[in-house]
Amino acid sequence: MRSAEHSPHSPERREFLKQLSAGALAAWTAGEPLFAQANEADDKIEQPKATADACILLWMGGGMAAPETFDPKRYAPFENGLPVEKILSTFPAIDTTLDGVKISAGLENIAQVMDRATLIRSHVQPDLGNILHSRHQYHWHTGYVPPQTVAAPHLGAWMARLLGPRNPAMPAFIDIGQRLEGVGEKEELKAFHTAGFLGTEFGPFLLPYPDQAIDAVRPPKGMTPERFEARYRKYRELVERSPIGERGSDFQKESMLRAMENAYRLLSSPERKAFDLTLEPKASFDRYNTGRFGQGCLLARRLVESGARFIEVTTEYVPFLHWDTHENGHETVQRLKSEIDRPIAQLIRDLEERGLLERTLVIIASEFSRDMMIEGVPGSTARDQSRAKTDVLKEAKHYGLHRHFTGGTSVVMFGGGMKRGFVYGETADERPLVATKNPVSVSDLHATIFTAMGISPKTLLTVEKRPFYVTEDGKGQAVQQLFA
Amino acid sequence: MSVRTKRSTLLTGFALGLLMAANPLSATAVDFAHDILPVLKNRCAACHTNGVYKGGVNFDTRETTLRSKSLTPGKSGESALMERVLSTDPEVRMPPKGDAISPKEIAAFKAWIDAGAEWQPGFTFGKTGQSQPLELQPPKLPPAVAGREHPVDRLVDQHQQQHRVTRTKPLDDDAFLRRVSLDLVGLLPSANIAREFHDDTSADKRAKLIDRLLDNRRAYAEHWLTFWNDVLRNDYAGTGYIDGGRKAISDWLYKSLVDNKPYDQFVRELMLPRGDAEGFIKGLKWRGRVNASQVPEIQFAQNVSQVFLGINMKCASCHDSFIDVWKLEDAYSMAAVIAEQPLEIHRCDKATGKMAQASFLWPELGTIDPKLPRDERLKRFGELLTSRDNGRLARTIVNRLWHRLLGRGIVQPVDIMANPPWSPELLEYLAIDLVEHGYDLKRTMRLIATSATYQSQTAPPQDVDSDDYVFRGPLSKRLTAEQFLDAIYDVTNTAPTKAVLATGERDGQPIRASLVIADALQRSLGRPNREQVVTTRPEELSTLQALDLSNGQVMNELVLRGAKHWRGREKNASSEQLCREIYRAALGRAPSNDELAVARELVGEPVADTGVADLLWTVFMLPEFQVIR
Repeated sequence: MRSAEHSPHSPERREFLKQLSAGALAAWTAGEPLFAQANEADDKIEQPKATADACILLWMGGGMAAPETFDPKRYAPFENGLPVEKILSTFPAIDTTLDGVKISAGLENIAQVMDRATLIRSHVQPDLGNILHSRHQYHWHTGYVPPQTVAAPHLGAWMARLLGPRNPAMPAFIDIGQRLEGVGEKEELKAFHTAGFLGTEFGPFLLPYPDQAIDAVRPPKGMTPERFEARYRKYRELVERSPIGERGSDFQKESMLRAMENAYRLLSSPERKAFDLTLEPKASFDRYNTGRFGQGCLLARRLVESGARFIEVTTEYVPFLHWDTHENGHETVQRLKSEIDRPIAQLIRDLEERGLLERTLVIIASEFSRDMMIEGVPGSTARDQSRAKTDVLKEAKHYGLHRHFTGGTSVVMFGGGMKRGFVYGETADERPLVATKNPVSVSDLHATIFTAMGISPKTLLTVEKRPFYVTEDGKGQAVQQLFA
Repeated sequence: MSVRTKRSTLLTGFALGLLMAANPLSATAVDFAHDILPVLKNRCAACHTNGVYKGGVNFDTRETTLRSKSLTPGKSGESALMERVLSTDPEVRMPPKGDAISPKEIAAFKAWIDAGAEWQPGFTFGKTGQSQPLELQPPKLPPAVAGREHPVDRLVDQHQQQHRVTRTKPLDDDAFLRRVSLDLVGLLPSANIAREFHDDTSADKRAKLIDRLLDNRRAYAEHWLTFWNDVLRNDYAGTGYIDGGRKAISDWLYKSLVDNKPYDQFVRELMLPRGDAEGFIKGLKWRGRVNASQVPEIQFAQNVSQVFLGINMKCASCHDSFIDVWKLEDAYSMAAVIAEQPLEIHRCDKATGKMAQASFLWPELGTIDPKLPRDERLKRFGELLTSRDNGRLARTIVNRLWHRLLGRGIVQPVDIMANPPWSPELLEYLAIDLVEHGYDLKRTMRLIATSATYQSQTAPPQDVDSDDYVFRGPLSKRLTAEQFLDAIYDVTNTAPTKAVLATGERDGQPIRASLVIADALQRSLGRPNREQVVTTRPEELSTLQALDLSNGQVMNELVLRGAKHWRGREKNASSEQLCREIYRAALGRAPSNDELAVARELVGEPVADTGVADLLWTVFMLPEFQVIR
């Protein structure tokens, strides 16, 4: 048999490029989802009706402890000699604008917008027998546990591939805040910050420093816009005059010229102003500015306003930093909450005020939760990685959730067709704090996100003659109860 | 991952409808490949497929199934198939023997039919693959026509004559020099080589040039290192190194390429445990539990099959392949060769209770005693794999080399060697030549590169994956990230200062891109992560890559440093001189007057660094620079 083998570098990718070079470029530039066209030609494709056009993933890299954030449990203040088994949360709970639903102290601003939120308290991860953050992050971002025989695409790359940009002058998949060089586990991070087999066209546009984002979309340092423009103009002239121009065309050349033109268009488009945080009114900038993450939220808002499709903003994963609290967890989490609380709440308010929240799905998520006692889940072979091992509290560094917990964690969603003021699932009130109701796997959570974006969880592309689905084996099930 | 590259016909008027017809997206309630096909295969296929069609029922393809009136898409209630599997009457019930189909499977059938009975595109139960005999088949060389004596040309001429194709024109010296140098050693021809080549008036100057390039052992090794690192999934940094889940084979590989190690020996060494090359068969391990189809033993089966035999064992490592003849047991038998412990067969990550028995894919070549200790089994496996009778080994590698040099395999894609070659005779000829001359890969390259076929102009773009593909001529190829950067380093004098590998005394030869850890630009330009086997790289430039080239800091610095280099070299050069020399250095030719006019405007008068940098950038971005034609 010699069946057509597809890989997105191949027939449909080629077709895709061909399409761009052909008449459908118009649709692409108008920001039409590719599905809209696909459906017309093939009514067998049943894609759900999108409830969101854009998606912002707020990533709490390193394992955000649910009991310290969105699922507070019994609080025990620091007390010398207190047995650690008595501690579930190191922060008291506070009221929110959602009746009867409490979250953790330190999130007072987010508490004020919880009436707009869908809160999932029963997100669960698989026990992989050994905790490696980047492996769980790889799983969370691609839906597949590595290693894989095919390089699995990041969630954002699927969106870029299947939906394209909302605004052609804006990269479809933008990643804010994560450095891929100079940090631990960088190779593992690179392994999923990729479009994988979909090809680099759909890969992340990386903006590790939000306040320098504008540099990524303007002429290189030291080059005036005039010179930049002149250089491109002369380039096109020399392409025309090159002898290979006379000898017909080849598809590498076509793709090259198209890509160069796309890049040039972005670099000289008015939309690029969205990348420039200095253009934000000071009062607004200050409301967001708690540091890189806060600035990232602001940047995300500006980019969504300008037509971005998928944006991830991360607190940044660096081993043993930020949410990755192996010791001194209480103090670290206090700081982290002060970094995320204001900007997230502000982002929700700003999107709402601009009428964008309804069609923008905002998600707060992390690769797993944390616990004071349990590594992985009860019964796991995962090695205890706490750096503050103790049975009773003796010093401040002992006080915190220092073990990785995969049995139940929280995900918060705003807008994009999700219910407002809704709690789904729950975890036990006593240790182990496992999800006791309506567990939501990574696959099902992804299915929910894809469905909101108008992509069936069963959507597949064929690579090396094998189907590769947006959710593992096409089995992800959207949690219908979450939709408004 | 094997990324397949394609060359489009780029018919601008290509109807959108065709795109949609080829659209791979599909969404049915049930997945054919995983839910339906295994049942059809296990319970129905013996009597209703592949030449046996009891009761006239033919499940080979969706079309034949419909023609057999076995089912009505969308209407399970009106489908004979449902009636048969649901029946309790032993005379009527299907399958007639064994247990009835389970309620879960019946539900899947019902849902599948109701959703339209979608079929895996292209899948058939009918005979798969053109089963070539394993042994190499000496072809009969057709007589030379019009003085074209070279065996490759004789075979290609025969093919083209059969298909009434006119060959492309011969390549001129400049174009040949550039192509052959980039193809064989990955570098722009040096000024020295270019001068000597032009001055040479002998009839065999091209053959001499080919020898000269191939004899440059270091340059050859450092170019093919890129290809082999991709193929053998080797890199200097990457996932797995963090906790010993991976082992590099860089030093062994480098030395093997410098020495042009015979290919059979090269492969045998790769199969040896505990040697310098063991990193390849060890695979890649992430800390923690791994899906049964991804354990290192299975990776071994998958990677060895793909790389050396052009077999996709990835399907068969989870369940019997739907697309090929290979079965779950085949994948596990291969995996069992390397397994330290008894290996239990898992189907779709579930234990089957059956243990895998080490064996070789083709028992006719010989067997592996499963009782042998692991290291002995591997050694034996390596012997069988590289046995002279294993034609597949030689075919697979000569096909890869042909693909690298001509832009499209004789068999395509290069990882599916069961596909029919456009010229079986040519494939056999090259493979036999390799085997009969000590598995000398350089010899194969020389054989190809000395042909008039190789030395002809590129053919217009064509759909390389069409079943009707006919060889019209070499196809243009995009430079790899490493070739591209080496060329820029060369023109701008900006090569890296330190290699990751110990490469010995370099006598002033610059460090090459293949010798350093991939930086952001190399990654952006397509140097892969190398977690999976990569046998071909994308041919297109993507927008993100173009962005990195247009305003990325790395590129910007390279051209600025390049400008300083050129101005330092040619202190009082006029803009015209600079333009001429930069064109010569980068493109191997003089600019036309038209080009010169534009280039001079870029450089400006008086000459400034920024102007020269802009010219360098512009020249590097020309398709002429980035594409081997």
